[in-house]
Amino acid sequence: MTGHPGPEMIVEGLKEAGVDLVATLPDINLHALLERVSADPGIIHVPLCREEEGIGICTGGYLVGKKCAMIMQNGGLFNSVNGIVSTLLQYNLPLLLLVYFAGDVGDRSFSTNGAMTQPVLDALGIRHFILRDPDEAKTLIKRTQVLTQDYKRPVAVLLTKDALGRRRPGE
Amino acid sequence: MKRIECFKVMADLAGDALVVTGAGGNTVEWYACRPGDGNFRVRTMGLVSSIALGIALGLPHRQVVAIDGDGSLLMNLCSLPTIARKNPPNLTHVVLDNEVYEASGEIDTATGAGTDLVDMARAAGIRRASWAGSPDELRTVFSEALDGRDAAFIGLKVETSRSEVPPYPMDEVENKYRFIRHVEKTEGMNILSMPMPVSFLKG
Repeated sequence: MTGHPGPEMIVEGLKEAGVDLVATLPDINLHALLERVSADPGIIHVPLCREEEGIGICTGGYLVGKKCAMIMQNGGLFNSVNGIVSTLLQYNLPLLLLVYFAGDVGDRSFSTNGAMTQPVLDALGIRHFILRDPDEAKTLIKRTQVLTQDYKRPVAVLLTKDALGRRRPGE
Repeated sequence: MKRIECFKVMADLAGDALVVTGAGGNTVEWYACRPGDGNFRVRTMGLVSSIALGIALGLPHRQVVAIDGDGSLLMNLCSLPTIARKNPPNLTHVVLDNEVYEASGEIDTATGAGTDLVDMARAAGIRRASWAGSPDELRTVFSEALDGRDAAFIGLKVETSRSEVPPYPMDEVENKYRFIRHVEKTEGMNILSMPMPVSFLKG
């Protein structure tokens, strides 16, 4: 993991996109990314106990001019669905969702979560983009932040192991 | 206590605080006591305190009040440790505990069977948490909460009776825009401006 450029590129993308409030819940594969977010003095970092509360916190932030993002596993996306529907979609609110794609091809954890992630996002009308190449991280994060602001709906980036860095070679 | 008596006391003291309300009678009775665009009605059960927390963190110099219910808070108890962890001094979380899901047919919540929400808030790490047992006591506790030293939590045991008040005058999207415009105006901020179209730019 040391030296993998993904987490740093993602945080740089968030900063260049103007994101200044990030609500998070850990997954081991998000560890390096969350360490950078929590250490960044330009970002209000809100560690969550359950992901749906993050939908509320980011809504509040947006109402007073913050640019917000959430970082969580896809299980946390599923935990957040009522908040996404009856707050984000009901009020036409933007939010950048950075979702660890557990159960993706090449990731042996939570294969059912992996199978259901894109169908759930599709059902909610949430546009989603898969990040595999860390070199594309900065551009994709900046573009999806602009897209969610324009669209006034949440937009998701699915973060894969290749984008974040594998903890062990061949894992 | 009647809910509307509590709201009259709070409206008297709230000044220009931004106020977040939840489902059922709380929203319309609060709006009748303190109308205006600094009010935001939440539709997701449980998210009142979370949305208020986001507002409080985003505007740390402005007082923010969450008007919650027992059923709503019980659905999002994890909000208590999250508020405690950030401890925004400008956030006051008021819970009107009538021991029922009033908007869902007055079925009992857990608070009537002994669950104490103020104890839970304290145990979550919100040091300034207390019950107020009368409108006079609420006046004291709520004014102290607005002094801006720590996040505060106030529990109020209220009756289920509803007061005759008008319906909420707008839908969710209008509420969002009016609230944001109110924040822009009162804070001198620009939140919703769009970039100039490319065709307009020179060079």
